[in-house]
Amino acid sequence: MRRLALTVMLGLLAGSQAEKVQVPVPIGIALAQTGNVALLGQEQVIGARLAEKHINAHGGIGGTPIKLVFQDAAGDENSAINAFQNLITKADVVAIVGPTLSQQAFAADPIADRAKVPVIGPSNTAKGIPQIGDYIARVSAPVAVVAPNAIKQALKLDPKIKKAAVLYAQNDAFSVSETGTFQEAAKAQGLNIATVQKFQTTDTDFTTQVTAVLNSGADLVIISGLAADGGNLVKQLRQLGYKGLIVGGNGLNTSNIFPVCQQYCDGVIIAQAYSPAQPGAANQLFVKEYRSQYKKDPPQFAAQAYAGVQVIADALKVLDRQKKLSQWDLNDLRAALNKQILAGKYNTPLGEVRFDKEGEVLQKDFYVAQIKMKDAKNGTFVYLK
Amino acid sequence: MELSQFLQNVLNGLAIGSVYAIFALGYTLVFSILGIINFAHGAVFTLGAYFTYTLVVGQFENNGLLKGINLFPNGSPLSGNPAVFALATLIGAVVAGLVAVLIERLAFRPMRARGAEPLLALVSSLGVALVIVNLIQLLVGAEIYNFPSDAYGQVQPALSFHIGDRVVIVRTVQLIIFAVSLVMLAVLGYVIGRTKVGKALRAVAENPGTASLLGISVDRFILITFFLSGFLGGLAGTLVGTAFGVAGPYFGVTYGLKGLAVIVLGGLGSIPGAVVGGLVIGLAEAFVPAQYSAYKDAVAFALLFVILLVRPQGLLGRAQIQKV
Repeated sequence: MRRLALTVMLGLLAGSQAEKVQVPVPIGIALAQTGNVALLGQEQVIGARLAEKHINAHGGIGGTPIKLVFQDAAGDENSAINAFQNLITKADVVAIVGPTLSQQAFAADPIADRAKVPVIGPSNTAKGIPQIGDYIARVSAPVAVVAPNAIKQALKLDPKIKKAAVLYAQNDAFSVSETGTFQEAAKAQGLNIATVQKFQTTDTDFTTQVTAVLNSGADLVIISGLAADGGNLVKQLRQLGYKGLIVGGNGLNTSNIFPVCQQYCDGVIIAQAYSPAQPGAANQLFVKEYRSQYKKDPPQFAAQAYAGVQVIADALKVLDRQKKLSQWDLNDLRAALNKQILAGKYNTPLGEVRFDKEGEVLQKDFYVAQIKMKDAKNGTFVYLK
Repeated sequence: MELSQFLQNVLNGLAIGSVYAIFALGYTLVFSILGIINFAHGAVFTLGAYFTYTLVVGQFENNGLLKGINLFPNGSPLSGNPAVFALATLIGAVVAGLVAVLIERLAFRPMRARGAEPLLALVSSLGVALVIVNLIQLLVGAEIYNFPSDAYGQVQPALSFHIGDRVVIVRTVQLIIFAVSLVMLAVLGYVIGRTKVGKALRAVAENPGTASLLGISVDRFILITFFLSGFLGGLAGTLVGTAFGVAGPYFGVTYGLKGLAVIVLGGLGSIPGAVVGGLVIGLAEAFVPAQYSAYKDAVAFALLFVILLVRPQGLLGRAQIQKV
């Protein structure tokens, strides 16, 4: 009996003993690998994988390789929470990149924050993400910063624009937040909002909305939605005879809309937080690597996921120089990593990136592009000055 | 409401409604014979579109096991003019029909053989839908695919009519869907009502036990039912795909719930009912002003509720005779 008690006590002691950091260093990736936003998630997975490959090919963290641990966060809140919990408690990751949607971040990020595990949001652009907690930061610039540029650019292309029609997906938290920014920006530029039309991201037929836009006499259309619905909306606007300029939000900022609106995508103006044309060395390396594998320009979602992994790795390198990573206690490293992430300056494919003390990204360059379609299938984003 | 606005709404409603109708036809066929809702129908509908895409374009993008594959580097022999596109659509539909037959063999027949509750078959069909959807993503990723924009030849993208100084417009592809759903209804009506196969199907629907005593192979006719349902679903998938693009593996599944409302409204198991129900729900949605489009589904389901209060058997359904 006494021996049993002793064993239990020893066991407890062992359990309370501090965990060391694993080698190779595990970094958690919780993105939408399945489900209805897998379209975006799979681009992010590509970005994260390219970052891992690049970092390990260049000596890892002072000789120690990193290892990405993938947990599917799908497109819903519950899956994101499960993924976060698994990464934190089972995989003992040092930090997490994820989840895909802002809506999921509001549910899952508090778990990481309570466990004191740093999180980098790769694509969460809604208001209030870094404010979830001390351990939450993001590399995706918020909509309020990016969106107004597109309207300014549209007015530059056609100064005669007077009336704007605004359309948005009301069942998507991000699109709702974005349309608010668009509408304020349009009013600030002296435009008259002729009509506001709503739709669902699952809608396919927009004849009702399009006829309302045509009847309103608008000469600028501003769309906040995702790729499939946004693309169909653009296509149906053009097919039913709308001739003016179209501004698309961040959800349309992907070559995935090309197969949807085909030649009708031509001319759509989109504000972006990432451009393959960004001249920095980090980006040109990334673009080269991406092109050689996928024969097209990398999308924003891939670049931001890449930047997320890179920020963590760069911060780890600083800590590793202070004390070898394998000698750190896991909890101490997570806390130190969080501080270091916010303190550092990073040359990522997005250009130079820093964070404010809340974890909000401070990014130097933003872009506005216009879609040019070569034929019904292939198009490019042409960058406007 | 102005006349032009009214006509525009009617056109919009018929356009949306014919998509619902074309989806619900295959749904209602299985229900009319087996009395079960086959939730895998949405997935078969999706597969039809993917099969046709494979034949017509055959090029897969960056994700999934088939990434980078291009079946026809010099252009598919099944693309280029509307006649070969129609042929590819039919082949895609036949393959979708065969998948439906496979689903019947693997997911429904074993349960029937054990005398399981019809409700269990419904759960099993949901499982099949999940497997198919994820299989599609595994193979070709979640990308959006689309058919060549000249699949129907060099037609105008939209037709417009002038009424006074106002214009009423409709997309050509939606007129095509509307016409095809009427043709499908007529052919199906003929097969069920006028042919020997149809007679046997009706006998199986009436009473499988008696039908088998009369020398009708019940299992064989159930297979035929599933083939027809899958064929119609696959055909519809391609048509809807040409209108809106094949928006990833979930493309057809989202029509599942609306399709259910359509067949309940039209009368469970009634084939003309599926078409009428689809058009009625489409029209109801079209008359919801766009700024209230969030309530579109609410209006459709409220209409369903009101109609069921007056006619519990649905618009064209037969009243159930209570056999004690």
